[in-house]
Amino acid sequence: MKLNLLVASIAIAGAANVSAAPNYVDFPVTVKGYEGDAKHSVSYSGQAARQVLHTSLKKLSGQGNGQPNAELKAKMLSYFAAKDAGRSILSPVTKGAFIVDQSGVDQLSKKKNLVGKVYKGSVPGWPGGMTGPEVLESMIDKASSSNKGYDPLTGYDYQQLISKFVMGAVFYNQAVDNYLDEKLAADIKPNSQPYKAGKQYTGKEHVWDEAFGYFGAPANTLNLNAEAVYKIAKQKSDALALADFNGDGKVSLYNEMAYAHAYYAAGFDKGGKTTYLHNIVQAFVDGRQLLTDAKGENLTDAQRTELKTHASTIADNWQLVIAEAVFKYAGSTYKDLQKLNKLIETNGDIAKEFRGYAKHWAELKGFALALQVGNKNLGETAVKLNRLIGFSPVLLGNTQVMGLDAKGNYLQASSIDMKQYMLHMLKVQQLMVDQFGVKARNKDVLADMGELADKLSSGVSAEND
Amino acid sequence: MSYENIVRYFIIETNWLELYQQVIVAFTDPKKRVFWGYLLLSVFVAFVWLRWFKRKDSKQAFFTIFSRKVWWSQSAKADYAIFLINKLSFLFIAPLIITQLAVATWLFEYLHELLGYRIIIGDEWPKWIIVTLFTLTYFLLDDFSRFYVHKLLHEVPALWLFHKTHHSARTLTPITVFRTHPVEGIIFALRSVLVQGILIALFVFFFGPKADLYTVLGVGLFAFLFNTLGANLRHSHIGIGYPDWLERFLISPVQHQIHHSTDPRHFDKNYGVILAIWDRLFNSLVVSTRGQLLAFGLSREEKKGEQNLLFIYFAPFKELSSLLKAKKSANKSKGEKLKI
Repeated sequence: MKLNLLVASIAIAGAANVSAAPNYVDFPVTVKGYEGDAKHSVSYSGQAARQVLHTSLKKLSGQGNGQPNAELKAKMLSYFAAKDAGRSILSPVTKGAFIVDQSGVDQLSKKKNLVGKVYKGSVPGWPGGMTGPEVLESMIDKASSSNKGYDPLTGYDYQQLISKFVMGAVFYNQAVDNYLDEKLAADIKPNSQPYKAGKQYTGKEHVWDEAFGYFGAPANTLNLNAEAVYKIAKQKSDALALADFNGDGKVSLYNEMAYAHAYYAAGFDKGGKTTYLHNIVQAFVDGRQLLTDAKGENLTDAQRTELKTHASTIADNWQLVIAEAVFKYAGSTYKDLQKLNKLIETNGDIAKEFRGYAKHWAELKGFALALQVGNKNLGETAVKLNRLIGFSPVLLGNTQVMGLDAKGNYLQASSIDMKQYMLHMLKVQQLMVDQFGVKARNKDVLADMGELADKLSSGVSAEND
Repeated sequence: MSYENIVRYFIIETNWLELYQQVIVAFTDPKKRVFWGYLLLSVFVAFVWLRWFKRKDSKQAFFTIFSRKVWWSQSAKADYAIFLINKLSFLFIAPLIITQLAVATWLFEYLHELLGYRIIIGDEWPKWIIVTLFTLTYFLLDDFSRFYVHKLLHEVPALWLFHKTHHSARTLTPITVFRTHPVEGIIFALRSVLVQGILIALFVFFFGPKADLYTVLGVGLFAFLFNTLGANLRHSHIGIGYPDWLERFLISPVQHQIHHSTDPRHFDKNYGVILAIWDRLFNSLVVSTRGQLLAFGLSREEKKGEQNLLFIYFAPFKELSSLLKAKKSANKSKGEKLKI
């Protein structure tokens, strides 16, 4: 019994390590001459609002009834492009014991939208040669008239496509290509000035906070393990206690919730092979501490170099999280294709399997697009990735979407068959290993081989018989 | 780089902790031939053999097994030194050898590309059928490839120069299994990589996740049986033989000792490891005779310096260069004759 108790307490301590590591909360005000009442300088409520705009938009994306639906489209656009007051948070909402504090977007931050922050460059991985905002607007248009986000003619699952691409084109792009990149320069948002007149945070402090807000990690992440953060994002009934670090009995969607990339990082890390989540949050905390230690003065060159090192750690690990997701969903798509090919050969019912294939493909595509909107041009890797995946899943008649016509309709043409497409998925996984060195490797098509190799291997040594 | 600098380089670059671990692992990992458990079982088997089949009393049996003449001979001491030197040199060599996973990955993708599709065979078959099939195929392919590579090491003159290191042992102990020239070590490692890589790729490609190996203590079933049943006695002075009929199917310890014999009638015989059928197929099987006395080594007469470590490691290269020169001049004279 005593042993059980001991094991249980170790497990609890592991899940919610109470010996306090710093939370991304309590950093003091350093702005020189600040006259307001704020005790702390951390602020990323605009980013928290965009997190719930994304989760709410995702929810709406799956609500089409298969007919053109102007009302749904308008509602989706109000979360995507408008700055309307009074928008309610459609997701996350209270779920059983997991009580959510806020119910309206305005409770987090007013007049926020997503479109203003979408990556503006062209998106070569999507048909039509469109910019980031155009791609999302087009997807929203099509999703509103789809059947629960799904279009069987193209195999597009818009709910997944929109969600994953927003995560890339807004959160990832804004954080690593803006806040953690050019906004760290000496002449932009200096640390010796408030971000805006009267604000309790310096230029650089707020820049750093905004990047943190886009990552989507709970402020107490360093006191949680990956499994716990994963549970919070999933709103498990026992996760309230893990999330609610201020002890008010509710989960604040501002800084106690896990969203987007932080959720995926936790998902990979809980496998035990990687530590992306903690690498990223630790770098955010360390960078924030460095800014606090600068005491409202401009950063010295040495300080800026160190801050940029933390920024690189964040960007590199973040990119790996997305590459791991590409790897994972390429593996899921491969396995779906394997099942589909089998069902086709045996004349089985493929409808359900095909839907799963479309969902996994959309997750793969969404993350593959996301990977290309970071702070580095991926060059040849992006070309290969887009070519291997194509503009759509390979459909039953061995066709794929090849482009858009003048009216914005998808054009399909013959492509490789579904069996050959499996090899493309395998190559996508290989590309993620070769170019990014992914380690978690969920849904590894070659995992069975690795396990067998371990069993057979006895290590290389000079032996005879 | 001066000699002194080379030595210094190796001392600095060597991961001494890893070397220590490798040595320990050789005796503590059930995947290794000289795992302490297998050694203990071999002592037990040897004792039973001497006590009940050879009618020796317990004391005699004990002193025969642990004979100082065997375990502390010049040859055995060289075995121990070679064991350590090879462990050290393989810290540098092993990372350069392609892994079986790399071979498997390449072949898996090649098959995918070649066939254009992948349909899993035997999806509805129970797992045990596929595991049995894998375990048996691996056993047969592994044993045959060991046999065949061993045969080549004897019959290809350039390879024999390196394999001679192993045959220069005058006394046999379980550690003699490590008395191997590094060049031969590399050849054997590549054999294992190829066999495992090819088999893993083929089975996973065609049978999917059900492809697996039966294991005991994490060791492949057949390797485990082979090792528990006294594989270590192959390199020993305990001449355990099987009945003739059985020796035509399984290589007994004494049959391998015959392979090490200095008697010319025994040269290039009994290449096999577990199965004797390969030797039968290639006409190289010799069964044992009762009361047979065997001397081990390359020649009847012991040569001065034959257990010298520098000689053991470097003589093969010198001989190889003479061999190549001889071949070159033979080709030249052949060419001249042709001109005439």
